[in-house]
Amino acid sequence: MSGDSAASAPGRSGGRPGRPVGRKATGSNWGRLFEGGLLEGGVQGSPVIRLFMRWVRRPLLPVMRLWRRNIQLKVVATTLLMSLGVVLLLGFVVIGQVRNGLLDAKVRASQSQATGGFAVAKQQAEQDVSVTGDEDIAPEGHPSQSVIQWMSDLVASLSSGGQGAFDVVTLPAGGESGSGRGPRASGEVNPTVSVPAELRERIDSSTSPAQSYTRVVYNDDKESQPALVIGKQVNDPNGDPYQLYYLFPLTQEEKSLSLVKGTLATAGLFVVVLLGAIAWLVVRQVVTPVRMAAGIAERLSAGRLQERMKVTGEDDIARLGEAFNKMAQNLQLKISQLEDLSRMQRRFVSDVSHELRTPLTTVRMAADVIHEAREDFDPVTARSAELLADQLDRFESLLADLLEISRFDAGAAALEAEPIDLREVVRSVVSGAEPLAERKGTQIRIVGDQQPVVAEADARRVERVLRNLVVNAVEHGEGRDVVVKLAAAGGAVAVAVRDYGVGLKPGEATRVFSRFWRADPARARTTGGTGLGLSIALEDARLHGGWLQAWGEPGGGSQFRLTLPRTADEPLRGSPIPLEPKDSRRNRGLDDAGLPRGGDGEKSATVPVGQPGSGSARDPFPLPPAAVTPTADPTALPGSGARVVARSGRASGSTRMTPGTLGEAGAPLGGGGKDAAARRPSEDAGDPARRTGDEGPGDESATRDAERDGEASRGR
Amino acid sequence: MRVRRVMRRGTGRLRVGGERVRRGRGSSVRRAAYAATGVVLLAGCASMPDNGGLRGVESTPRQDAQVRVFAMPPREDATPTQIVQGFLEALTSDDPEYRTARQYLTREASKTWQPELSTTVLANGPGAHADRPDREDTGAMSYTLTGTRVATVDAEQAYAPDSGPYSKIVHLAKDEKNGQWRIDAVPQGVVMGRSDFQRNYMSVNKYYFASNNAETKGTDLPMAVADPVYVRRKVDPTTRMVRSLIDGPTTWLDPVVRSSFPTGTALRKGAGPLTPDDRGRLTVPLNDSAAEVGTGRCEEMAAQLLFTLRGVSPAVEEVELRADGGQLCLLTQDGAETVATRGALNQPDYLYFVDEERRLVRIAAGTSDTAAEPVPGALGEGEKALRSVAVARDERTAAGVALDGKALFVSSLVTGSSLGDPVLSSAGKSEQDRLTTPSWDSQGGLWVADRNPAKPGLYLLEKGAGEPLEVRTPGLDGRVRAVRVAADGVRIALVVEQGDRLSLQVGRIERSGPADGADERPAVTVLELREATPELEQVTAMSWAGDSRLVVVGREQGGVEQMKYVDIDGSTPDVPLPAALTGVKAVTASEDETAPLVAYSVDGIVRLPSGAQWQKVTAGTAPVYPG
Repeated sequence: MSGDSAASAPGRSGGRPGRPVGRKATGSNWGRLFEGGLLEGGVQGSPVIRLFMRWVRRPLLPVMRLWRRNIQLKVVATTLLMSLGVVLLLGFVVIGQVRNGLLDAKVRASQSQATGGFAVAKQQAEQDVSVTGDEDIAPEGHPSQSVIQWMSDLVASLSSGGQGAFDVVTLPAGGESGSGRGPRASGEVNPTVSVPAELRERIDSSTSPAQSYTRVVYNDDKESQPALVIGKQVNDPNGDPYQLYYLFPLTQEEKSLSLVKGTLATAGLFVVVLLGAIAWLVVRQVVTPVRMAAGIAERLSAGRLQERMKVTGEDDIARLGEAFNKMAQNLQLKISQLEDLSRMQRRFVSDVSHELRTPLTTVRMAADVIHEAREDFDPVTARSAELLADQLDRFESLLADLLEISRFDAGAAALEAEPIDLREVVRSVVSGAEPLAERKGTQIRIVGDQQPVVAEADARRVERVLRNLVVNAVEHGEGRDVVVKLAAAGGAVAVAVRDYGVGLKPGEATRVFSRFWRADPARARTTGGTGLGLSIALEDARLHGGWLQAWGEPGGGSQFRLTLPRTADEPLRGSPIPLEPKDSRRNRGLDDAGLPRGGDGEKSATVPVGQPGSGSARDPFPLPPAAVTPTADPTALPGSGARVVARSGRASGSTRMTPGTLGEAGAPLGGGGKDAAARRPSEDAGDPARRTGDEGPGDESATRDAERDGEASRGR
Repeated sequence: MRVRRVMRRGTGRLRVGGERVRRGRGSSVRRAAYAATGVVLLAGCASMPDNGGLRGVESTPRQDAQVRVFAMPPREDATPTQIVQGFLEALTSDDPEYRTARQYLTREASKTWQPELSTTVLANGPGAHADRPDREDTGAMSYTLTGTRVATVDAEQAYAPDSGPYSKIVHLAKDEKNGQWRIDAVPQGVVMGRSDFQRNYMSVNKYYFASNNAETKGTDLPMAVADPVYVRRKVDPTTRMVRSLIDGPTTWLDPVVRSSFPTGTALRKGAGPLTPDDRGRLTVPLNDSAAEVGTGRCEEMAAQLLFTLRGVSPAVEEVELRADGGQLCLLTQDGAETVATRGALNQPDYLYFVDEERRLVRIAAGTSDTAAEPVPGALGEGEKALRSVAVARDERTAAGVALDGKALFVSSLVTGSSLGDPVLSSAGKSEQDRLTTPSWDSQGGLWVADRNPAKPGLYLLEKGAGEPLEVRTPGLDGRVRAVRVAADGVRIALVVEQGDRLSLQVGRIERSGPADGADERPAVTVLELREATPELEQVTAMSWAGDSRLVVVGREQGGVEQMKYVDIDGSTPDVPLPAALTGVKAVTASEDETAPLVAYSVDGIVRLPSGAQWQKVTAGTAPVYPG
């Protein structure tokens, strides 16, 4: 096998096993790209941040998963977001409009009120000048009339008109103080804080009134509030300027605005919630049938072909349901047709096998007679008689195998389980294979038989399986040792058969169990095994609730492992023996050619089911170093012809071994009773006896046959 | 698996929904009815209500838009005129300790200036005239503050009407170091115009207990006497009133009242501003002088406080007195009325007057009915034609002056009582020169004046009987034309005729025990009569209308007859004037301010319920409330 795989170009064999490793690497790269690029936004640099991001992301993962999977959630969330945006926009526009409208009205009313107040103040000052002007101007010309009381009275009279509606404040012009025109305020307004400095400067610099927005601060516990302040510079009776301000609190306007705000917020909330609910309902109408269809499809794919959607109405969804149901019906029809066909074919094969047996027995008897008398024939006829007998043997075994497999297909195989010691079975199988092994120059060793390995099993079937495996191993062992290993642990027993022959190419480990599978389809099945041996063995293992698995590496030999539950009907959870033996090349660090590898575990992926860890503690197969050394230069061999070279000069003694095994099971084959009896003690006890005469003349073809047989056996 | 389950539930729901729809179709009529009802209800919400929603409205008292003056410190390089004006302006501000005003003074002047000493109220605010402006560059200037005095408030915060010109000198000096003008000589006290005074000050009654009513029985509650003072409205009036109350009554009232606070009592040192807490409790910490008082005394103290604070901070519901770290007593507003009483707490049962048949009749007070019924007893039977009457405060006895004014009769208001002999007679020649309308005090004393020019006099009949006691009235210049005793019995209001001027005077009643011997009668004196309405020339009628308030009908010089309220200290109270009424010959009011004002005018008996116009009650003369 090593040559086989090596012949298929080292580059490829190096590249192919490398792929899984590479895939794994790219996979992790993908993951890193995903984590880094999509979720971490390129902050891969700091591990702390990454850790933090991971911590933040963890509780979000279920939500994101839900988001990815649930279209209803998506639609509803999008609707909510968009309607929220619309409501916010609308709210801003409406509130802005209302605010402007309220302010406009307030400003207009306030201005007229303030203008009237300024006029009153001016008039009052002029009146008082005219009344008291003469007597209060000191002879020196100093204006000395006391304006203290006048100012206070003025503020009181101006503010008495609008209690709560506005307040009046006077401030000295130019910031001067202490001249009788100090700050005065009605309604507990704090005058210096409430009138903005900019407005005071403006009033100082011009005689026209000006207005500004401000926040009125009160000296008592009243809360400060926004206000409109209108001011003007006015003269007192002495002709000195002072600043007169009207403050209009915008309390009512603010209340109106907050009413509008509250209304809009409530309405907006209702609209958003309502839209969300509507979206939810509408989407549900669509999503529910889709989900139903998905569920039905899942059940259909699970094999429940009678599932149908419920269809009501005539809308699009109903049409979808109808089409879906029609499709399911057609599928069911086709599948049942195919099933019928398949059943018919199996039946046909079974019937054909049965029907062929009777004529075959007759032919067999006739052929035996001819064969007995072949010495009396001319050489050509004698040779024909021999060929006839050979092919009849083969025909018989093929028929027996077919019968057996059709019995499995029909579910007629019954397990007759009883506690047996597998060591006995193994010993009998090995002793039966001894003659063949001797012929091949192979030594069969049994490992792990110090203690009893007991399991509930059908001894006949287990023996058939093991015989098949051991014979195959000897056949393909290329003369090297074959190791049969027994082990029991944890509710399971296992028997592994290890050879150091050509081994299996990648992917062949599963295909060997296929019916009539052969490594090289180009070759016709004219000689060798029936191609059903391993299939039957697999069915036997399954019948026990056990496993039959193969492992192999090109040039490194192969191992077949049978794992059975210790008691019937107990599910298997593991096997006591690792599928890949400890002395595999990979484990020993050798490459395909048996040379020490560079270090990377390229071959690991060729193992279909690997349990590298579990077997490490078990006894390693003592293996002579020579066993792994290829006997031929792999590069010199064409195609997969490594076995041709390896098997050259071998006898095809094992050709009938597997059929014999099957024939044993195939009890109805009455004609083979003798053979069966002869073969029972040992596989090769009968074979050499029957073949002794074949070896000479059929050496060339036998060699080819043996090779094919091996190939075919492998294929089982 | 989950998907499948969801799907199954989904189909189930669909089926159920279908059934529901089918059921719904069956009762679509009912659904439509529900929808219609909802629409109607919503439509109701969408229009203004036009009925229902009956509820009482709490009247929130409208606060006056009080104008505040914010004192400003003097500007850099202010002229002397600005300094003087700024100082005068700062005096009108709410600055608690006049800190800003003191910044206009030199350091020395600030030390000697005592603003609390007095407050001078001028008619129009002080004018300032520079005496000699040409001396401005010499570093010293003086200004004369001028004006017309209206009133003064002394250091005891007692208000007194005043008149005459005001002229005080303010001297300024220029600080040599920084070249700023400052006032270095200033008159004591503060000065301001009348409207500023009314804005900044308010009148509050302090309450003490009448001490001279020796005849008071032990079971009677002590009678509280109001002592009006003026405090600054914005400068923590509560604490200042408490301090003022503890400091004692004003000099005028002091001889006839006592304070329950022991001598030496004061607020504990370091006690901050007193403010009631959320439940209206005011805690008053006193010093150790008050620590030893008993509960009864302490409750009297608390009652004084509660009566006093009622006018300052209505939020005070109860007063807790503390001294020496412990609680002395706790008294609520309701509890105060069980500890002491005052005039305003006596609610009259009836309004009395003389009907057209000259007999004493009465109408239940506070009602709007106009049907008068004769009082039981002799006076109600019309046996003697009456001119004026007075009913004792317990409304069991009444006194009546005969139509000719010659004789005073006293009779009890029980059926079948006899009139008896007159208790007092006058020998006046004309009807106008005989007896005045009598007046009862709270101890049952009957006061009456004889207008006989030959022998004028004020008489007191203890218990309304016995030998009339002539009351000494030193300082009384003129004849008494009308007499009204306050409910507390320590103050008396007289209308005194001096020449052609009829003025309203208020005096205090002092009683001294028998000088020697038990048969000697106690002496009763009316002292320190002072004019309550200097501006009124002709006072024609008056009556007590509150603890320290009178309602007066009179005429100013060159004016027309008007009716107004005056406080006994001569200030004008901050209450609206009663609606105008012409031809008022007599007026009566109760010290309980809820009772309507009643007058005898050309329309007969009229009354003025609060917040309404004058209403005619019935024909009659001489209306009186008990007292």
